[in-house]
Amino acid sequence: MAATLCVKLLRKQGWIPLTHSVRHGSKAVTRHRRPMHFLKQKLMAVTKYIPPERGAPPGAYPPQTKPVQEQDTALMTVMKRDLKTLFQNYKMIAVAQNNASTSEDMMILKHRFFKHGIAVKFYPNQVMRSFLSASVYSNMAPLFIGPTVMFVSKEPKVKEMLMVLKSSPQMTLLGACIDDTLLSIQGVVNYSKLPSVSVVQGELVSGLTMLTSNTAALLQRHPAHLSALLQQYVRQESPDGSTEAT
Amino acid sequence: MLSFIKAAAGGGMTGICRAQGHLQGPLHSHMKVVASGLKTYEIPPDFNDVVLPDKAKLKFMNKVPDLIKAKKEMKNLRDIRGPAKTENTFTTGQYAIVAMGGGYLHWGHMEMMRLTINRKMDSRTTFAHWRIRAPYKPITRKGLGQRMGGGKGAIDHYVTPVRYGRLIVEVGGKVELREVEHILAEVAKKLPFSAKVVSRESLAAMYKEQAEMEQNNQNPWTFKQIAQGNMLGIRKVLSPFDLRNHGRFAGKFHLPGRV
Repeated sequence: MAATLCVKLLRKQGWIPLTHSVRHGSKAVTRHRRPMHFLKQKLMAVTKYIPPERGAPPGAYPPQTKPVQEQDTALMTVMKRDLKTLFQNYKMIAVAQNNASTSEDMMILKHRFFKHGIAVKFYPNQVMRSFLSASVYSNMAPLFIGPTVMFVSKEPKVKEMLMVLKSSPQMTLLGACIDDTLLSIQGVVNYSKLPSVSVVQGELVSGLTMLTSNTAALLQRHPAHLSALLQQYVRQESPDGSTEAT
Repeated sequence: MLSFIKAAAGGGMTGICRAQGHLQGPLHSHMKVVASGLKTYEIPPDFNDVVLPDKAKLKFMNKVPDLIKAKKEMKNLRDIRGPAKTENTFTTGQYAIVAMGGGYLHWGHMEMMRLTINRKMDSRTTFAHWRIRAPYKPITRKGLGQRMGGGKGAIDHYVTPVRYGRLIVEVGGKVELREVEHILAEVAKKLPFSAKVVSRESLAAMYKEQAEMEQNNQNPWTFKQIAQGNMLGIRKVLSPFDLRNHGRFAGKFHLPGRV
């Protein structure tokens, strides 16, 4: 400090470094803090200790993983039993997301479903997931997120369900389990386009009967026609004959 | 006291029951210790391994060192600046007075400490010993009414220089901190520098906290880095003392909260 002061005072007079002795060594002030140089004060201010940011106190945020509730309440047990019978008895179990539908909407929807014999069921997701994790339908578990509704019927009435759902925009179909097969929305739509079982069976029967009727018609005609046809068939079957035929 | 009663009652009851086996059933049903008001105290610390030295009290210190020829010394203020390099950890004791700044201890301070601690402590359970030397650094004074000049004055008295972090007095034995804290605190506040009472744990915690501060400092600019790199020619206003101590000390004073 003294040296710097001397420098400041003497600079104007044309200070020659060699002719002046600057006093070094100890500064004989021990009773109080020596005034700090301004630059050093700045340095001390710049290099202050900055503590790390304090983290949130424990319990401020909910835990990332919820503690699994092992103990089932009596109500949950009853619900699970219901679900078990439901999955056994009903062939179509469709899961839909319920987006802000009013009670009136829900009533209309229930009424429309009732006409086709489809029931609307509500179960808490927690119960649903704990039931599904223990059952063979465990792959359905990802469908049960948020407000969900289940449409169940004893017969797979997919076409009717889709028709009803088309008129209610609050319900978004997520997937369905039909005849113990988990189907996506596209799968459900494809399923609805299939003809009914009786129609398919009729087609099969008609196809089978057509063969026999053709054979009978062939036998009733002239035997020369039949022999010509057989000769033609033999020619086609043999490799040489096929080349000749072509 | 209450726990003792509880233990005695429990022990006594079982003893009676054991002695009179045929009365065990009915006696148990009638003698019930009401435990609602009883308190369980924590187990006192185990002092079995503590060995008390022969002379538990603080020794008398010479006012003047026993020298053949006393030599005058220069002021040499370096011996009170900065942190103590030696005698800054515990040896045999548990509790101590630690200097939180530099300064000189006179013989008078040592007498004050010695008399107070020896008078107040229980020498059957406690011991105390010095961690500083007797005054050895000569301080010169010129006589009263003497004109300036004529060379350096005569040796007036001797002092003991103490740096930051130096332990002054160590106390140990079969005592807890709360038993000796008031004695040490009374002494510590009379010393010529700021001092405080520490235990082994609290001193270790103090050093650990400092180390953690250095590690977790969020300021990218540190004194050490700037001073060693001579950024913007700052070395012009810094001394080698600052380079060593990174701005944690101003002369004999310790600046708390700096890294």
